[in-house]
Amino acid sequence: MSTTISGPDAAEPVASSPVAAARQLPKLADPAAPLLVVDNLKTYFSLEGATVHAVDGVSFRLDRGEALGIAGESGCGKTTTALSLIRLLPPNARIEEGSIKLYGIDLVGKSDNALRRYRWREVSIVFQGAMNALNPVHRLRDQIAEPLTQRLGLSEKAARRRAGELLELVGIPKRRGGAYPHELSGGMRQRAMIAMALACDPAIVIGDEPTTALDVMVQAQILALLEDLRHKLGLSLILITHDLSVIAETCDRVLVMYAGRVAEEGSVDEVFRRPRHPYTQKLLAAFPNIRADRRTLDVIPGSPPDLRHPPPGCRFAPRCPFAMPVCTEVVPPEVTFGQVRVACHLYPPGSDGRQVTTAPPDAIGATVPLVEPPPAEPPLEIAGG
Amino acid sequence: MRSNYLARRIGTAIFTIVLIVIVNFGLFRMMPGSPERVLSRNPNVTPELIAATRARWGLDKPVFPDQFVRYLAATVQGDLGFSFRGRPVVDILAQRIWPTVILFGLGELVAIVIGLALGAYSGWRRGGPIDYLGNGLSLILYSTPYFLIGMALLLVFATGLGWFPTYGMMTAGATHAGPIDALVDFLAHIALPLTAVSIGLIGQYAIVMRASVVETLSEDYVTTARAMGLSDGRILRHHALPNALLPTVTLIAINLGYIIAGAITVEIVFNWPGLGTLTVEALSARDYGILQGIFLLLSVAVVLANLVADLVYGLLDPRVRA
Amino acid sequence: MTTPLAAAEGLAAGRTGTRLASPSHLLRRLVRRPDGLIGLFVLVTFAVLAIIPDLIVGPLQTAITAEGPRLGAPSAVNLLGTDELGRDIVNLTVHATRISMVIGLLATIITVFIGAFLGIVSGYVGGRLDAALMRIADFFLVIPTFVLAIILTSIIRDLAGSGAREVFGIRFGLIAIVFVIGITSWSSTARIIRSQTLSLRERAFVDRARVIGAGGGHIMRRHILPNVINLIVANAVLVFAGAVLTETTLSFVGLGDPFQPSWGQLLDAAREVGAPSLGAWWYFVPPGLCIILVVFAFTLVGSALDDLLNPKRAPRR
Repeated sequence: MSTTISGPDAAEPVASSPVAAARQLPKLADPAAPLLVVDNLKTYFSLEGATVHAVDGVSFRLDRGEALGIAGESGCGKTTTALSLIRLLPPNARIEEGSIKLYGIDLVGKSDNALRRYRWREVSIVFQGAMNALNPVHRLRDQIAEPLTQRLGLSEKAARRRAGELLELVGIPKRRGGAYPHELSGGMRQRAMIAMALACDPAIVIGDEPTTALDVMVQAQILALLEDLRHKLGLSLILITHDLSVIAETCDRVLVMYAGRVAEEGSVDEVFRRPRHPYTQKLLAAFPNIRADRRTLDVIPGSPPDLRHPPPGCRFAPRCPFAMPVCTEVVPPEVTFGQVRVACHLYPPGSDGRQVTTAPPDAIGATVPLVEPPPAEPPLEIAGG
Repeated sequence: MRSNYLARRIGTAIFTIVLIVIVNFGLFRMMPGSPERVLSRNPNVTPELIAATRARWGLDKPVFPDQFVRYLAATVQGDLGFSFRGRPVVDILAQRIWPTVILFGLGELVAIVIGLALGAYSGWRRGGPIDYLGNGLSLILYSTPYFLIGMALLLVFATGLGWFPTYGMMTAGATHAGPIDALVDFLAHIALPLTAVSIGLIGQYAIVMRASVVETLSEDYVTTARAMGLSDGRILRHHALPNALLPTVTLIAINLGYIIAGAITVEIVFNWPGLGTLTVEALSARDYGILQGIFLLLSVAVVLANLVADLVYGLLDPRVRA
Repeated sequence: MTTPLAAAEGLAAGRTGTRLASPSHLLRRLVRRPDGLIGLFVLVTFAVLAIIPDLIVGPLQTAITAEGPRLGAPSAVNLLGTDELGRDIVNLTVHATRISMVIGLLATIITVFIGAFLGIVSGYVGGRLDAALMRIADFFLVIPTFVLAIILTSIIRDLAGSGAREVFGIRFGLIAIVFVIGITSWSSTARIIRSQTLSLRERAFVDRARVIGAGGGHIMRRHILPNVINLIVANAVLVFAGAVLTETTLSFVGLGDPFQPSWGQLLDAAREVGAPSLGAWWYFVPPGLCIILVVFAFTLVGSALDDLLNPKRAPRR
C-alpha cells in the first residue's frame, strides 16, 4: 500500500524527509546503493538498414531527492536516454550496451515482464502536455485512478478517494475531477499529468519537456509546483529540456548532451557560472539574458552530425572553435574535477579545470563571455489553474 | 451540453425528412400525366375510387399549397396511395419490408463485428502477409458490385456445390417438422445473400478500423499507458479501442445509404422476397405508387439510422457534446 | 497593352506561392508509381476497346446476326461462350465497354461540373447561400440516391419517350441515366471543392485581388479555379468509378437498353435467363470482371493522384 501524503514538510531537509524514508523499496533493492546509476548506456535504432547511434555511452548518477536536468538540442539523445530507463522504446530500438541500476538492481538485463514492476511504481514520466497526452474519452479522475487500481490493486472507492487527494496536491480542485481533458486549460492538463505520475508514489519522476507547450506564466507555476512537490514528497526529478532557464530554476545538477554523448555534467551553479565544454559555452551564450545589456547573439554554425555515421573522435569537433587535430581522431575521455565532469580535449586527464589552449584569434566566437549567474528571484506563488 | 447536441441532431433529421417528403411530392406530381391519369391506367381501380381519390388528393385544386398539404396529411396518416395490384401501397410495403430488414440488419451486424475485430487485430499487429493480403482483397471487393458477388456465390456454392438453395427465403411449399427445422431452412436460404451483403462491408470496416487503431496507438496517452506498465490487453481495450471506434462509427453511418442499393440488388439475385425484388417488379410495371413508397420508406429509415449513429457517436466521444 | 487591373493581377498571381503542377509533369510522376502505372495501363486498354470495338470484334451482334448455340459454353469459335440468343459473349462484352464507359464519362462530366461549380461558389460566397447549398448537398449524401435514381430515370424516360435518337452514339433512353447520375452524385465533389475553396479564400493572393477591385466571379474564375483544377481532376477519376458502378446497378435492375447493352445490362440479362443457377458462368463473369477491373483501375489512379496532390505529404526527392 502506498503511503499517505501528509501536510507540507517544507521545513525538513529533503534527504531525511519521513515520507521518503517511509517509501517501500522493491524486494531486490539494496538500501545502501545510490538511487540511480547509469553506466555507459548505448541505445541504438535500426532505421532503413542503417544503425542510428542515438545514445552512445552516457553515464550519470541520480541521488535521492535530487533534480537532474538533461539539456541539449533536439536529437541529442536526451529523450531516448530517459525512455531507456523504463525501456519505453519503439520496436526498432535496442539497448546495445551499458547498465541502468536502480537501487543497485540492473534493469537492462530484465525481461519486459520483470521490468514492468518498476514502471510507474518506481519511475514515472510526465510528457509534454500536447493535445492528446491525456485520453480524450475518459474523465480526469478515472485516468488518475487507473494506475491505482491496475498497478496497486486499490478498490474503486479507495482509488477514487486517493485520486481526489492527488488532484488537490497539484492544485486542481477535487470537484473538477469529473471533467474531460478537452475541458481543461493546458496548465491544468499538465497538473493532471503530474498528479497521474505521482499516483504510485514513485522514487523518480521524469519530465520530458513538461513546460514547453505552455506559455511563460503557466510555465512558472508548473515549475514552482514541481519544486514544491519535490521537497514535500522527497521526489527525485529528471527534467529533460532544451530550455536552460528551466534547468537553472529547478535543478540541482545538469547533464549537457551532444550527439548522443555527455559533453559536460555538474552542479547547476558551477556549470552555468563557468561552462567548460565549448558546446556548453555556446549553448549558454545563445540564450539572451533578459536583464543584461543588448549584445549580438552567438550562433553555433553548422548542424548536429548524422548519427548513422557519427564522425570519429569528438562529435562536436566540426563545429568547435577550439578544435585541435586530436579532436577529430580520439574520443575525448571524461575528466572529473570537483563538482564537474567534462569530455573535452581542452581538459586532458590530470588537468585542474583550466582550459589547455585558447582559440585562434580569428575563430568564430573566439571570445566567449562568461555568463553571470542569474540574479536571485523571489519565489513565485503557486496560483490555481 | 448534452441536450444541445441531441436537439441539433434531431432538428437536422427532421429537416431532412421534410425535404424527403417534398421531393416525394415532387415525384408524385412529375409522374407522366397527372396523378389521375396514372390511376386510370390502373386496371383494378373503379370510377368511384378515382373520384374519391381525386377528392382526397385535391387534384382539382391548385398544386401548392392545397395539394401539397393534402399529400402531407395523407402521408403522415400512412396513406401512400394505391398500387397496380389493387391494394394500398402501405400494405404491400408492410408485407415485404421484414425480409429486407432481416437481411440488411444481419448483414450490417455481421460486418461490424467481424470487420472491426479484424481491423483491430490487424492494427495491433502491423505488417505481415495477412495485412497486405487483406488490404488488397478489400480494395478489390470495394470495386465489386454486391450483386456480382452474389451471382458468383450462387454459381459456386448453390449451383456448383449444391450446399445452399438458389432462391427465396424458405423452401417453397415445404412443411417443417418444427421451429428448429424451419430455422435451419431459413438459415440455409439466408447464408449466401448475407455473405454477399456483408463481405464488401467487412473489408471496408476492417481497413478503416485498422488505420484508426494504428493512429490511436501512436498517441501520447497510449505511450503513457505503456509507461504505466499496463498490460497490452488493457491498453488495447481501455485506451485504444474507444478512440479508434470513432471514425468507424462515422463510416458506418455514411455507408448506410450505399448499402441499401447493394442489399436491393442482392435480393434480386437471390429472389429474396423483400423490397429489392418489389422494386424490380414495380419498375417493370411502372407502378409508381410502390416506387414512391419505397423511396419514402427507405429514405426515412436511413435518416433515422443516421440519427442513431450520431447519438452513439455522441455517447462515445465527449468532445462533440460540448 | 494590358489593363492596369490585369497587370496588377498578374503581379498578384505571380507571387501566390502555389505551384500548379503541369498536367504532363503530373502524368510523369503518376506513371512512376506502380499503382498509377497499372491503373493507367488498364484504363488505356479499356479506352481503346471503347473507341474502336468494331475493329476488334466486328459489329455488335444482334438476335438476327447471332450464329452460336443458345447459352453455349466456351468453345473454339466462341471463346467465352454465347448468350441465350446465340450471340458471342466476347463480342457483347467488348461493345458493352463503349456503352459503359461513355455513359460513365458523360455522367462524370455533368457531376463534376455541377459539383465543382457549386463547391466553388458555395465556398467563396459563404454565408446563407453556402449554408443552404450544403444542406441540400447533405441531403443527397444521406438519402439512398439509388432509389431516387431509379424513379427519376423511369419518369424521365416516360416523359421524354424513348426512341432511336442518339446522343454521342448513345440512345436517348440511356442518356436519361447520364442526367440522373449527374443530378444525384454531385454532393461529395461539391463538398471537397468547397473545402479547398475555403482555404484558398484566406490566402493572400485572393485578398490582393479583392483590394484591387476584382469582382467575385472574376476571382473565382481566374484565381480559385486554377488552384482547384488538380483536385477536380483527382476527384473526377473517383467519380468516374462511381458513375460506372451506378450505371451498372441501374442497368441491372432493368433500366438498361437491350439494343445497346452495357456491362450492367448484360448482367441483368444473365440473371433473367438464370445463368448463375444454370451454371452458365461465361455469361456474367466476363462483364463482371470488366467492371471490377475498370473500377479498381480508376480507384488506383484516383488515390495515386490524391497522394501526389495532397499538400501534406511533400514528394520525396
